[in-house]
Amino acid sequence: MSDLDKAIAQLRACRPIPEIQVRELCYKARELLIEEGNVVTVDAPVTICGDIHGQFHDLMELFRVGGDVPDTNYLFMGDFVDRGFYSLESFLLLLCLKVRYPDRITLIRGNHESRQITTVYGFYDECLRKYGSANVWRYCCEVFDYLALGALVIGAATELEPTDAPFADPSHATTVSEGDEVEVELLNSAGHIVTRHVRDRYIGQSSQLSNPPSSPSQTREQTPSRNGAPGTGATGSSHGSSGNGGGAVLCVHGGLSPLIDSIDKIRLLDRKQEVPHEGAMCDLLWSDPDEIEGWGLSPRGAGFLFGADIVKCFNHKNDLSLICRAHQLVMEGFKEMFQNTIVTVWSAPNYCYRCGNIAAILELGEDGSNAGYAPRSNGDVERSHGASNGVLTERMDKLKGPGRRYRVFEAAPQDSRGMPAKKPVADYFL
Amino acid sequence: MAANGVETTKAGGTQGTTSRNGAWNVTTRKQPILKAEPIEALSNELGIPIPEMIFGDNIVSLTHIKTGWSLEFNARDALDKVSKTEEGMLQVAVAEQWKKERSHQDEVKQVVKPFDWSYSTDYKGSTHPGEALGAWEQTTQERFPIRTDLLSRPDPILFFDTVDLYEDELADNGIALLSVKLRVMPERLLILSRFFLRLDGVIVRIRDTRVYVEHATNKVIRQYTAKEGSYDHVQEKLRQMRENVPEAFRDANKLAPLLKTVEDMTDVFEVH
Repeated sequence: MSDLDKAIAQLRACRPIPEIQVRELCYKARELLIEEGNVVTVDAPVTICGDIHGQFHDLMELFRVGGDVPDTNYLFMGDFVDRGFYSLESFLLLLCLKVRYPDRITLIRGNHESRQITTVYGFYDECLRKYGSANVWRYCCEVFDYLALGALVIGAATELEPTDAPFADPSHATTVSEGDEVEVELLNSAGHIVTRHVRDRYIGQSSQLSNPPSSPSQTREQTPSRNGAPGTGATGSSHGSSGNGGGAVLCVHGGLSPLIDSIDKIRLLDRKQEVPHEGAMCDLLWSDPDEIEGWGLSPRGAGFLFGADIVKCFNHKNDLSLICRAHQLVMEGFKEMFQNTIVTVWSAPNYCYRCGNIAAILELGEDGSNAGYAPRSNGDVERSHGASNGVLTERMDKLKGPGRRYRVFEAAPQDSRGMPAKKPVADYFL
Repeated sequence: MAANGVETTKAGGTQGTTSRNGAWNVTTRKQPILKAEPIEALSNELGIPIPEMIFGDNIVSLTHIKTGWSLEFNARDALDKVSKTEEGMLQVAVAEQWKKERSHQDEVKQVVKPFDWSYSTDYKGSTHPGEALGAWEQTTQERFPIRTDLLSRPDPILFFDTVDLYEDELADNGIALLSVKLRVMPERLLILSRFFLRLDGVIVRIRDTRVYVEHATNKVIRQYTAKEGSYDHVQEKLRQMRENVPEAFRDANKLAPLLKTVEDMTDVFEVH
């Protein structure tokens, strides 16, 4: 058994590895990450995960539900550390797996992978507590600076391979007939199907998209999704979509930036630094989608919000069918917005050990039907001239979204270990 | 379950207790954060975005059993008291830098939905009169004191709970947290509803509402105390005290004595 495999075994047991080993691991990881571009290309199939926040036992549950590395190809969208009690073990395990199986796991940077944020939100203190010095924190921060800013998933199938999985609630079972494309499936942690959406094949013309209320796909979403089994967090926020042709999927931690109109512009950034307070790199890690038109400045005075028109333009210009991001807590584990052009994936169940939320991971299948396909989405395809005009977006073609299989799961029971007891301890507060 | 003559009940995230003389009841309810749909409904109703962690089903209530009078703490009513305009709106530490850097970018429209995103509230609970007569009357601590001397005695705590109403991480610029603690002793009870705001590099704010009842009386004494201090000032004091600064900044109890009282009022409700 190699040292690395030993370290993996030790970390899987939630035991930190010695400082000297951390140093070596971080050095190797940096050598590996420096070779990656700002936007890593990832071939489907891939399982996309959102925030982890040091909830180690829930990360183990994620691997149980989603499959182990290297059997499953993973993409983690950042925020590995802070808030939870096991940031160190969680991040080092992911890093070990990255070094051991570089082609089977992709790590991109979240806004918590920063010196400034980790000193405030727990990771720094945790390292200090577990090692007695800040060295390990420093090694990890150096790795943070090398993490990619985004990933581009190519070759994702537009429909899901049918599974043999049983329905969690047989009365919600939908049968898939010949010619139907399964677009979205929601599975619980036992692997049972909670809901299934079939893509509406009657919508071939993109013009339908400009008129959502009458779109048949809008009525279809009424079907079973809001009635999931209790505790599964079956969400009403996953809607079928329609369109023609497939596209790539961009994964970033936060969202878009007004300074970035093509993926190539992300590639040009100098990422090997602490996350700046402003600028494109900051935006990619911090911004949020919102029900607004165009770009907005957050009332906080820093941070951008972007509306559906921005997403649709960006996706169109860059041949994307979907943007996948994390960064925001959602009770149901995932939330699709803007006619399924962007999705938030959240993978920390019972966040901060008290929110009671469900976590989700998103599986994108491999497009086996057309081997020669996979158009490269390098962002240099200028199909829409001056398309930043909001009026034009209504007429834009929308690429067929990938088939999306969400697996949701709840907090691992053992993550209550070492936690403040569920029952609050009485104190003589005044 | 008549331990010490106190009735304790527990069902579906709800638990409560009745004072041994049968006059007062306290009940708490704890549920997970709201799902997407109720959040949207609440946001539409209140006209502001909802905090990231919204415990919209959580409740703390104090009831005068004979009249049905109650004082309740819930997230909806607390958020309704958050400023929905630009008034008093804080800015994060890097906002000035942002303004300079972004001034040339025309495509970015105005600030989206200005409101007090720090979720600062002066919420003192929601009163439901039931069949009781009377009203809250302004008074002073001299006339109706919250007896910290009696509360400091090691009387047995018959019922204790802490209930979060909402929390927001302010996009990692600090924390805004509204939570309620309560303890019931054989002869009295104390509820503390605390709003705690730490906006990194800018401000620390604590707004406490204390509710005090001597079970043998029909008086509910309520004290509201608002405290503030600049972040730098608090940080300096913590350093002088040789505290672990980042850790102390997470502990409202440590920060409270370092802040300046900006508002302090007491009122009393005689339920009959």
